[in-house]
Amino acid sequence: MGFLQILTYLSGLVFVIAFAAKLLKYATMPMHVRWELYPIPHEGKEWGGSFYEEVDHWKKTRHKDHMAQYRFMVPEVLFIKALHEDNKSLWYWSFPFHMGLYLCIGGLAFLAIGAVLQILGMVPQNSALASLFQSLTIVLAVPGYVLGTIGILGLIVKRKTDSGLADVTAPIDFMNLIWLGLLFVTGFIVWLQDPGFVVSRAYFVSLLTFSPMKEPMGLIHVINLLVFIGFWAYFPFTHMTHMVSKYFMWDKVKWDDDPNRGDPGMDSKIKKYLAYPVTWSAEHVDAQGGKKNWADVATSNPWEAKEQK
Amino acid sequence: MRPEEISKKTEQLVNIKIEDLPPLPPPYTNYEETPITPLKEEQKKKWEHSLDGVSALTLPRPETPEEEERLVKLFLSGLEKLMTKENNWTFLQPLMLSMEYCAKCQTCADACPAFEMSGRKDIYRPTFRADVLRKIAKKYLSPGGKILPGFRGHDIDLNWETIARLAELSYRCTLCRRCTSVCPVGVDNGLMNHELRKIFSQEMGIAGPEIHEKGSVKHLKFGSSTGMTKAAIADIIEYLEDDIEEKTGKSIKIPLNKKGAEILLIHNAGEFMAWPENPMSFAILFDAAGIDYTLSTELTGYDGVNYGLWYDDVQFARVALKHLEIARDLGVKKIVIGECGHAHKALSVIADRLLPGEQMIPRESSYTLLNEIVKSGKIKFDPSKNDFPVTLHDPCNVVRLMGIVKPQREVLNAIFPPGRFREMEPHGVENYCCGGGSGFAIMSSGNFTDWKRLVSGRKKLSQILNAFQGEMDPSIRKMVCAPCSNCKGQIRDMLESYEVFEKTGIWYTGLVELMVNAMVDQEKPFLEWPGDEDDDDM
Repeated sequence: MGFLQILTYLSGLVFVIAFAAKLLKYATMPMHVRWELYPIPHEGKEWGGSFYEEVDHWKKTRHKDHMAQYRFMVPEVLFIKALHEDNKSLWYWSFPFHMGLYLCIGGLAFLAIGAVLQILGMVPQNSALASLFQSLTIVLAVPGYVLGTIGILGLIVKRKTDSGLADVTAPIDFMNLIWLGLLFVTGFIVWLQDPGFVVSRAYFVSLLTFSPMKEPMGLIHVINLLVFIGFWAYFPFTHMTHMVSKYFMWDKVKWDDDPNRGDPGMDSKIKKYLAYPVTWSAEHVDAQGGKKNWADVATSNPWEAKEQK
Repeated sequence: MRPEEISKKTEQLVNIKIEDLPPLPPPYTNYEETPITPLKEEQKKKWEHSLDGVSALTLPRPETPEEEERLVKLFLSGLEKLMTKENNWTFLQPLMLSMEYCAKCQTCADACPAFEMSGRKDIYRPTFRADVLRKIAKKYLSPGGKILPGFRGHDIDLNWETIARLAELSYRCTLCRRCTSVCPVGVDNGLMNHELRKIFSQEMGIAGPEIHEKGSVKHLKFGSSTGMTKAAIADIIEYLEDDIEEKTGKSIKIPLNKKGAEILLIHNAGEFMAWPENPMSFAILFDAAGIDYTLSTELTGYDGVNYGLWYDDVQFARVALKHLEIARDLGVKKIVIGECGHAHKALSVIADRLLPGEQMIPRESSYTLLNEIVKSGKIKFDPSKNDFPVTLHDPCNVVRLMGIVKPQREVLNAIFPPGRFREMEPHGVENYCCGGGSGFAIMSSGNFTDWKRLVSGRKKLSQILNAFQGEMDPSIRKMVCAPCSNCKGQIRDMLESYEVFEKTGIWYTGLVELMVNAMVDQEKPFLEWPGDEDDDDM
């Protein structure tokens, strides 16, 4: 097995572990107090209403329109709808960049399928199915490279020239954009040299079969691969993993309007949290350096006691 | 301006100038506005003001370098505690997500009325204070934070200037969360500001004096943030009964501490002092609709406010638990919250996960119940009694943060002639804050009143004026319905500062006052407009 293959496995491993750790970190945080924000699609009220609009709402069965959540989230993920509505000048660049990324990921998935078919003995020269996946790889990846490059260039220029953005953009943000841009540009050059992604597919085969490449890859392939390997391992440590916040902030914060109606699971969490020690230092909290827990401080009234004394 | 510049050792970071502010709509296009009153020299010596020349907190300057250092360390320890589940289980998940994931796209900036109305001053961007917090956390609290801080974008100095400016800056956002509504990745910069205030209060004992010492402390000490005691509230209720008789000819007994009543009605006690017609109207409507309810005179039970919502989880929980305990002791089936936006959100939403389910009492909005009263037909309304243009202010806490949008509109449409009610733009869940949110309506220390007038209240004033364009003749009386005490207070202050009634005939009131005014069996007009008493005297 070659050095590049080992690097690819390691990079994938780092990605999986770091990304899973990130998801786990947020998924295991305590249930927070309600902090929803309307409109909430599952309420099924297009004007942004909630169950609070109904008298004695707690006596009624709640109906959640789950499909409405998907109707909101799918265009949001695919087309970055919120940015389109509220920040169009940035969307012109952010959308092609994200769409380019999605297309490239799709192309990569089809390349992987093509590699599996190749292991099974089906190559585009002898199999219509393999030929189809080769075409799908090209149809997704090439426009992906082009759109991604356009988006990245636009974002770099926008962040350099818009004073509101320039003030909050750090050198590392430009580095991230350039890194992604390199991924797109080198990918495009790879395609120019290898229009059927034959070498890339062969590399995938070598990864899946834990065997060395039969022919060494060309320089541009190696560069493209190194750029990708590095980014794959680096990505989970950055704020570019904002799909995590997109899931948690919507599903678990902005749309979490489940009322407390004595659900045993919720009750046991609340009891656990009320037993957490408090170490806030301000005098009025009167936490006594962690001797008191949340139940103690929340049920105390230091001023009432002083009045009575 | 880059967030890192908050640490700069300069006299003042930003200066608010009238000429930078967006113009107000007619008839105020060429109105000569009064600038922010500069602090006097002795005030400048005493209070921190180096952010924008405004002091909302009257925060004393540390007297020695050692004291400065102690406070800086205290801030950092507070930030560290904020990121632990033990000290901040209440908001940890949304806080940490917001700390980590800002994409720096600035979409939130255009949604923020304070940023827009300041003439787009960078320090008021929703991301500015949040970024400062993120950068401090990264540099000073994360492993390897001091490696390449400039390259990684968090090369910020944590000094007294940073802390003092952050403290003031946390009181330049009304927590309306309009910024959160538009964030493409769901980051909640409004929450970040809320959490920042918590560091100052819960760790350092720093908060707006009106919301802490004169607010939640008074609430827990005397029973009301107004300072009104249990004995005083009983007397006030008697006065209200007399006034009801005088204004309506009806003898109505307002029930107090009635065990086993269906409903515990909790008002914002500010209503009793500033707008007694509001609790009077509730009494008239509930009496006419045959509603079985009671008010409480127990400590905190006659004041539905909960200022802790804006700055301190401990103070918040103390008040919320008292409200629930009182309702349980009375044996009511539900708590109905009067016309107070933050009381709505505090008790209905935020307090919902403070206790196990069996100890909770259902809470309901008065808007919902009032709409039910209208729909039930138990009270006859004559819309022609409200034959004047009206617009509706949406309190953020009730609308965007609770999803109560339609009931208040259905009530207005039932008690006004067709075509009289017009919306502000935008409205509903996209509304703009009155400018008095998160405690601003009651905060008036230093020269903060001027900042509220020029900046935070400016968008709402523009919206109100725009709602009535074409009818600006002052002889045409027009009404803003603002069914929230704090919003009403802020709108009152704006209308008075700009002499809006005198120049345009626009005034303000709550929802229930408009309902009583339209009651068929209400012989005299219930609503009072400025100058009405003078007319009567004549």
